Amino acid sequence: MFLKHLHLQGFRNYPDQALDFMAPTTILLGDNAQGKSNLLEAVLLLAHLQSPRAGRDQELIQQGAEWAVLRATLDRQPEPIDLGLTLRQNGRRSMSRNHQPVRRQIDFLGHLNTVFFSCLDLDLVRGGPAGRRDWLDGILRQLEPIYHNLLQDYQQALRQRNALLRAEVVDPEVLQLWNGQLVQTGTRLMRRRWRLLHRLAPLAALWHSRLSQTQETLEITYAPSVPTSSDEPEAIVAAFWAKLEARAEVERHQATTLVGPHRDEVVLALNQTPARQYGSQGQQRTLVLALKLAELHLLEAVLGETPILLLDDVLAELDLKRQHQLLAVIQDRFQTLITTTHLGLFDPQWLCSTQILEVSQGRLRPSVTPVLGLE
Amino acid sequence: MSTVYTRPLARLIDRLQRLPGVGAKTAQRLALHLLKQPDEEVAALAQALLEAKQQVGHCTQCFHLSAEPVCEICLDPQRDSAVICVVTDSRDVIALEKTREYRGLYHVLGGVISPMEGIGPDQLTVQPLVRRVSQTMVKEVILAISPTLEGETTILYLGRLLQPFTHVTRIAFGLPVGGDLEYADELTLAKALEGRRPLD
Ligand SMILES: Nc1ncnc2c1ncn2[C@@H]1O[C@H](COP(=O)(O)OP(=O)(O)OP(=O)(O)O)[C@@H](O)[C@H]1O
Ligand SMILES: [Mg+2]
Ligand SMILES: [Zn+2]
Repeated sequence: MFLKHLHLQGFRNYPDQALDFMAPTTILLGDNAQGKSNLLEAVLLLAHLQSPRAGRDQELIQQGAEWAVLRATLDRQPEPIDLGLTLRQNGRRSMSRNHQPVRRQIDFLGHLNTVFFSCLDLDLVRGGPAGRRDWLDGILRQLEPIYHNLLQDYQQALRQRNALLRAEVVDPEVLQLWNGQLVQTGTRLMRRRWRLLHRLAPLAALWHSRLSQTQETLEITYAPSVPTSSDEPEAIVAAFWAKLEARAEVERHQATTLVGPHRDEVVLALNQTPARQYGSQGQQRTLVLALKLAELHLLEAVLGETPILLLDDVLAELDLKRQHQLLAVIQDRFQTLITTTHLGLFDPQWLCSTQILEVSQGRLRPSVTPVLGLE
Repeated sequence: MSTVYTRPLARLIDRLQRLPGVGAKTAQRLALHLLKQPDEEVAALAQALLEAKQQVGHCTQCFHLSAEPVCEICLDPQRDSAVICVVTDSRDVIALEKTREYRGLYHVLGGVISPMEGIGPDQLTVQPLVRRVSQTMVKEVILAISPTLEGETTILYLGRLLQPFTHVTRIAFGLPVGGDLEYADELTLAKALEGRRPLD
């Protein structure tokens, strides 16, 4: 898929900026705090209706503006798609697809697919399990937009059940019903996470062995809160009920739900040692790169379209060898948007065929060096 | 606000704004409109508000809104008292009545089971419903409750409770995801009533 056109109005520090993408690779060049990441954020928002860094829409709207409008034109099979998103100060959003209003999120999601890689992704290795769960959920939403609703259902069941566990008197019959809802909605998530990791793990291991000079092996394992050895719904449901029963007293005592996919873990191990303890900075970066490349190839395989790769400040952090490996993967096959503060680290040969845009205080202009169009 | 509007006007706007679906702009428009009306008009509105509040209570049988102890629907001899349609809210009764398809009686639950809002079976009209069903000749109970997570939980709960006494069905909604009964158009509701299925 190819993002052809983007138009931002009142978004972050962009008052009004239209832009045409002219090459498979676009480099956004600029000093700190000029709007490079904001532009990637706009693409992510159109893709997922979620920003990796904003909690509320108010943060996304330009200070002093009432609303923000984001529009994108996308070349993809079988036909091009126009997406539009309006954000308002009061938090209400409206979405459109091919200029027709769209009411439900699932009708908007799934058209623009991305893989996002920023320096914060090192937290996938270093941080807690919540970050890894979010990562899985993000991929699943792209593979299957309805996953968004499944996740919301589970979270709602979890909130309701927690509220019930906190109540002074708990009606056992009502608790049993909410247990049923937790199991039913939770099982849907677990099966999907299980299947995803089943496909993602070998891809990541393969990329990792290509990227690392050493003979380390990367192993990714799904360690669900409810142990399961398959994605068979009956098996998961039975195991879920059994564990709920086993933990019933502790849950009552702690007044919170201790069993379920909100407690899942994904274990990343290098040579059988947790990567968090084992890896140097460089090794951890290689690992995250392998995860992202696995994600890229999995999305491509399942969706039958190449997702758009968004690299926020990460290229400069990779050593030259890995930079070249990454660029070799991208070539002209994946549309890529790269942010950077300087071009010094890039291969000049490669720069020739890229579109370079200078970002300054929420405005874009073509770089003075190689010129490839801008509206 | 206090600096823009004189005190009583500010108070009126503030009151109006607390109504559902009324934002700051609408509240201001309504308030300014009211001030332009003749005194009798405004007095009539105020009186209507008070009287409605004072006189409208709940039907002691079905808990639908009613000024009398037993509502018109429950008193209507033409209606089939062997069928009870269980709904969340009085708004749902009004929506279903508009279809003119349904000839049975109602039971208004007053909400759905939601621990987050502190609503369990005891906060709903569940006990009176069980009494009605167990003590009168009821052939069918139709559960017409939106299929949200809380709605489904309530349907399951009522199903278990009522199945020993009567045939329990649920309305097969073709409602949009997260849709409310209230927003479904009359045709959708009429079709849903026809396509009801037994609770499994
Ligand atoms: N709602 C908003 N309204 C106006 N300006 C905003 C808004 N949100 C963020 N900004 C501005 O956007 C700028 C940050 O942009 P961005 O994060 O894209 O920087 P960047 O170019 O990626 O910089 P770096 O190289 O440091 O990552 C800051 O100057 C910030 O004040
Ligand atoms: Mg940045
Ligand atoms: Zn009545």
